[in-house]
Amino acid sequence: MKSFPLKIVTPDGPQFEGEATELIVRTISGDMGIMAGHINCVTSLGMGRAVVVTEEGKREAACIGGILSVLNGEVNLVPTTFEWADQIDLRRAEAAEQRARKLLEDKRLSAVELRLADARLKRALVRKSVASSMLSH
Amino acid sequence: MAGVSTKEIKTRIRSMESTKQITKAMEMVAASKLRHAQAQIAYSRPYFRMIYGVIQDIAETNTKQHLPYLEPTKNAKHRTAYVVIAGDRGLAGGYNSNVLKLCYGEMQGRDCAVLPIGKKALDFFTARGVERMSESYAEAEDVSVSDCFTMARMLCKAFRAGEYDEVRIGYSNFVSVLSQTPATMKLLPLEPESRDGDPKPADILYEPTSTEVFENIIPEYIGGVIYGALCESRASEQAARRSAMDTATQNAEEMIADLSLKYNQARQAAITQEITEIVAGT
Repeated sequence: MKSFPLKIVTPDGPQFEGEATELIVRTISGDMGIMAGHINCVTSLGMGRAVVVTEEGKREAACIGGILSVLNGEVNLVPTTFEWADQIDLRRAEAAEQRARKLLEDKRLSAVELRLADARLKRALVRKSVASSMLSH
Repeated sequence: MAGVSTKEIKTRIRSMESTKQITKAMEMVAASKLRHAQAQIAYSRPYFRMIYGVIQDIAETNTKQHLPYLEPTKNAKHRTAYVVIAGDRGLAGGYNSNVLKLCYGEMQGRDCAVLPIGKKALDFFTARGVERMSESYAEAEDVSVSDCFTMARMLCKAFRAGEYDEVRIGYSNFVSVLSQTPATMKLLPLEPESRDGDPKPADILYEPTSTEVFENIIPEYIGGVIYGALCESRASEQAARRSAMDTATQNAEEMIADLSLKYNQARQAAITQEITEIVAGT
């Protein structure tokens, strides 16, 4: 299968650099798959699962926010947070989910606090689903 | 008796010694914080470069469309927003004053508002009566990645609303442990670096639409750049403090050596005088 150069870089350091045969990410308008020879393309990332397929196999990660750019065959993924499934602490994600749910029940929250808590809940849910799906494999 | 009394010199030596201990301790604290900050830079620099490169590529290859953030909003106020990153504490050589002076110099003759990060930046601009957008980032050490993204969203919103026609950032570049240079950079409107020469013709597919993509990725980009600049500034602060405290320790050592010599001279002079007095039998 044809491969393409892929780089994944986050504020916490580079996460991946090398050849990949397929990349699936959740963008703001839904899941998007990239294979070698993709047209030049720029999109904004949503919150969700990212799948990187290389010669060695398939890896999953929780990928939240940021930019995906395909330019002249090179694929650059620049997410705000990116965690490989095997690095996610499932118990921490569950605790974060509980905390966020409790916060959201509070009716006195301001609009900003509400948005933050909502974002936290979504992040926790993404992490949880990615981590637990890996366990079931 | 010869000049200053030995007791007086001894007191001065003692006070120099305690100063030396303090500067030495501060140097060691700064050195350990510097190691941490350097590690953080090693992580954030590739991100900073990547996100900057991606946005530059897009700005360069885009020649046809009018996208948000590439130029000021119509009828925007002629006003510049400055994000200025300085430290929380002094005793860091020229670190704070260099970056603050550079920014303040650039602001002259312009209508400006600042978003200060760090207590020193906040105090500086408060004292000079420059309008502050927010005072909630007075602790540069506590500003997190998500704070950077919050700031970026706020700035982008104000830019789109036409409150500012330019957004700039002032920070310190960490060149090496011994050299840190203050710099300012334009964040908005986005301008490709190389306007000269033919724009690279490349068609880019924006998913779902170019406007929507830009509205989402530019705040991310600005947040990433602010975070990168913050990491650079933090490392610069620790490096500047370390070398300033190193110099202070050396100066203290020199003064102690000098005073010890004077002390011994004075003591010797006193003994000689005493002997002379005994011999003379007065």
